Amino acid sequence: MWTFLGSDVMFFGAFIATYLVYRGRSLNGPYPSEILNIPVTSVSTFVLLMSSLAMVLGLYYLREGQKNKATLWILVVVLLGTVFMGFQFVEFREFAHEGLTPRTNIFGTTFFILTGIHGAHVTIGVIWMAFLAYSSHRGKLRADNSLDLEIAGLYWHFVDIVWIVIFTVIYLISANDGPPPGAELLHG
Amino acid sequence: MANLWQKLTYHRGNGWWNLPHTASQEPDPPFEGPIGGAWLSNIWRTITHGGVSHAGPGFYWLVGLFLGVITLLEVWLFTLKGLGGLYIPILLGLSALKFVGVVAFFMHLRFDGRLFTYIFTASMGIGIGMFTLVLLLQQFGNQVR
Repeated sequence: MWTFLGSDVMFFGAFIATYLVYRGRSLNGPYPSEILNIPVTSVSTFVLLMSSLAMVLGLYYLREGQKNKATLWILVVVLLGTVFMGFQFVEFREFAHEGLTPRTNIFGTTFFILTGIHGAHVTIGVIWMAFLAYSSHRGKLRADNSLDLEIAGLYWHFVDIVWIVIFTVIYLISANDGPPPGAELLHG
Repeated sequence: MANLWQKLTYHRGNGWWNLPHTASQEPDPPFEGPIGGAWLSNIWRTITHGGVSHAGPGFYWLVGLFLGVITLLEVWLFTLKGLGGLYIPILLGLSALKFVGVVAFFMHLRFDGRLFTYIFTASMGIGIGMFTLVLLLQQFGNQVR
């Protein structure tokens, strides 16, 4: 899993670098300063961070042999991951409503590809965790095979740290980005 | 000065930050901290150990609280408008703190074999190096041409 995560670091790094290379180069709006909603995204970031906390607590209680608590915390991971996906769905729909799609401008392209791929990772993680919660409930996931949950947990935490970087780079740092100098000349 | 540094950071050649994995690795006297005496070291033991090789739930809640507070701090900094050129470095620093917190404690890298640390940090190093190069080329490539 660590080797896979190492490769995934480079995978996401490529998209983050692409975003940074093209940052502030969109010649038409909507621009980040017009569309990003920092308070809402901060809440979804907090939700994802807390899902990581739930993940380690689930693993801890599984190792301790406390089946019910382990199942409960894994279900909390599923719930918080689903809530995060809900936030992302609402955000994407809102952006489309405001006129930002992957084809609108270079910001739209790089933003949707990066956050969309991250969202796909979260979705896979939620499905994975749902299966593990069911296995824990049925007693098939126990302390002696807790490595299954630990490996899934590594994946989940990785998704979390990728979002930590995305939240800082795309949302907090780019939130004030407007049109590049001279863009107004193109529009008369 | 060197003695003070040794006292604060080491115990019999081992760093205080090296959490014991087994009972035999525990310092003697057990869990004695460099400062604060037995009461503080007992609190530290309670929140970090939990009786297993990994940390306990109390410690995880602390890390979770730490991550939440940093996120709040980031959003508060975003609302401030007078930071100027310090804004991005401060945010990147806070983001790095959260990153390390999750990787070291939630992903157990702090408690795992060093090989995993090498694999992950090597990938990070290669990734960050390559992308820095791409960004520099983007920045200065036109001047070279």
